[in-house]
Amino acid sequence: MSVLDKLPDGHGDRALLAGLACLLVGALFAFTPLRAQLPSALYVFVEVGILFAIYGMLVLGLDLQYGHTGLVNFGHVVFFAVGAYATAILSAQDSFSGLALGYPWPIGLAAGVVVAAVLGLALSATSIRLRGDFLAIVTLATAEIFHSVFVNFEETFGGNVGILGVPRPIAALVEGDTRLVVTLLVLGGVTLVTLAAVTRLTEAPYGRTLRAIRADELVTRSLGKSTITYKTQAFVYGAALAGLAGGLFALYNGAVAPGFFTIQVTVTIWIGMLLGGAANHRAVLAGLAIIMGLRLVSRFALDVTPVSGDVFASIRLIVVGLILVAVIRYRPAGIWGDARELGVDR
Amino acid sequence: MSLLSTDGLVKEFGGLRAVDNLSMSVDDGELVGVMGPNGAGKSTFFNCVSGVIKPDAGTVTLDGTDVTGDSPESLAHQGLVRTFQNTRELETMTVRDNVRLAAPNQPGERTIPALLRSSAMQKHEEGVRKRADELIEAFELDHLADEYSSSLSGGQRKLLELARALMLDPDILMLDEPFAGVNPTLTGEIADRIADLNDRGMTVVIIEHEIETLSELVDRLVVLQQGSLLVEGDPEAVLSDERVIEAYLGGDAE
Repeated sequence: MSVLDKLPDGHGDRALLAGLACLLVGALFAFTPLRAQLPSALYVFVEVGILFAIYGMLVLGLDLQYGHTGLVNFGHVVFFAVGAYATAILSAQDSFSGLALGYPWPIGLAAGVVVAAVLGLALSATSIRLRGDFLAIVTLATAEIFHSVFVNFEETFGGNVGILGVPRPIAALVEGDTRLVVTLLVLGGVTLVTLAAVTRLTEAPYGRTLRAIRADELVTRSLGKSTITYKTQAFVYGAALAGLAGGLFALYNGAVAPGFFTIQVTVTIWIGMLLGGAANHRAVLAGLAIIMGLRLVSRFALDVTPVSGDVFASIRLIVVGLILVAVIRYRPAGIWGDARELGVDR
Repeated sequence: MSLLSTDGLVKEFGGLRAVDNLSMSVDDGELVGVMGPNGAGKSTFFNCVSGVIKPDAGTVTLDGTDVTGDSPESLAHQGLVRTFQNTRELETMTVRDNVRLAAPNQPGERTIPALLRSSAMQKHEEGVRKRADELIEAFELDHLADEYSSSLSGGQRKLLELARALMLDPDILMLDEPFAGVNPTLTGEIADRIADLNDRGMTVVIIEHEIETLSELVDRLVVLQQGSLLVEGDPEAVLSDERVIEAYLGGDAE
């Protein structure tokens, strides 16, 4: 057998290799005297790239829930927020406001994933049997409730200030440009590994069952599949991924506050998913890249347009809306989505 | 020996008694037809037996076990598989995937083997593919195997539903109007396949309006009216029974 035979063929395996390579190179920079230099013009791109990697984990989880299983989750940000707060509270050394327990950060990160998963499980237990639109209301309401809790329980969550003093493991190892590069490599690597995992899951018979539930739950049950179990699993996996994204965000940002976890996050990842094409993992990432890229481009455009920042922000929203309208009109399944796979009329 | 039986089955919707104290049984290896005018409670009876809805009273016994109120998925594992009156294809999936989906005990339907791409999953899936392709070929759907099932005709959908149900290798197959909306040629073909399955030992219960095909096909006919058993027995005897004629034609037979 030649080496070529051993090379992975599927998208999933390529993502896994790329992800591991990113993590490896990231580790190389972090633990050796090797340093990176960035032209200052690239800073903004790297920063948006880091945020894209984090939001990428969110959109992959959402795609597992909505794209494959058909669960309408309009409150995805809540799992992101809960993961971030859990990680921040457990690992913050000393915070100006709110709780700071000072445990080592890996414990905080693990707790972020677990707490988000537990919240997902609790929501599933009460609401996963609900029909699509009702589940949407429940998740939306949950997100709003938690947002209000984070703002108002100042003793615990630090109110509008949030929690500061969260350790930044990468910043502790390297500084400056290298820190940015390592962060991008590590978070991008985690997102690629996530992509590999969800791709494997949905390419396996497991994914076939999820898509059958999306198509017709009663038929799927009549064929001997315990659909409640599958729906709960898909929901909890998506929640846990969002918790992981939240924990990593807290450890990258060094602080959490309610302002980072508004409904805007949910809206961004939903638009990204629908734009790219639900039920196609790479497409939802591409859709998210388009929507986040648009923001980045508009940041530069602001400098050359003769309008004020406020006006420009409104124009940007209008443009995003128009793009969404155009996609729904001409490509209802998303740019790379399969209309027959999603059962949308064209 | 009776494979499936109901005893005193009752289901009410608001004030309407859709199934009223219905007791009947189906023997192992039998081919039974269930008929009755619209609203006689045939589909409700099917739904109660197959776990889609819970009966208000009475028991359902499958192979000596009380399965009253069991979920459809649990009944499917216990060997009772049903089809639906309005064919319910998984339209966003291909014909192939529709049939493959039904395969029982696939380890790849659990998270860890799916993530690890375990060899047990791959080996099992090979068997599933082979079996699914055999069924698709046997039902002459092979030229449509990679089509989305939304593009199938009514008759082809019925065939697909049958092939999919057989993937589970059921002990008892419950078919809700397998001939509805199917052209006469295909009706004959589906009937032949059902007879063939029954000859090979599968117990089959069919709801059908197409009386001619049904009476030729089945060993025994059961006629329901207003949720109760009206007449049952040999198809010819049942069809010439005055009460049946009256129920179907309405009013007096005189």
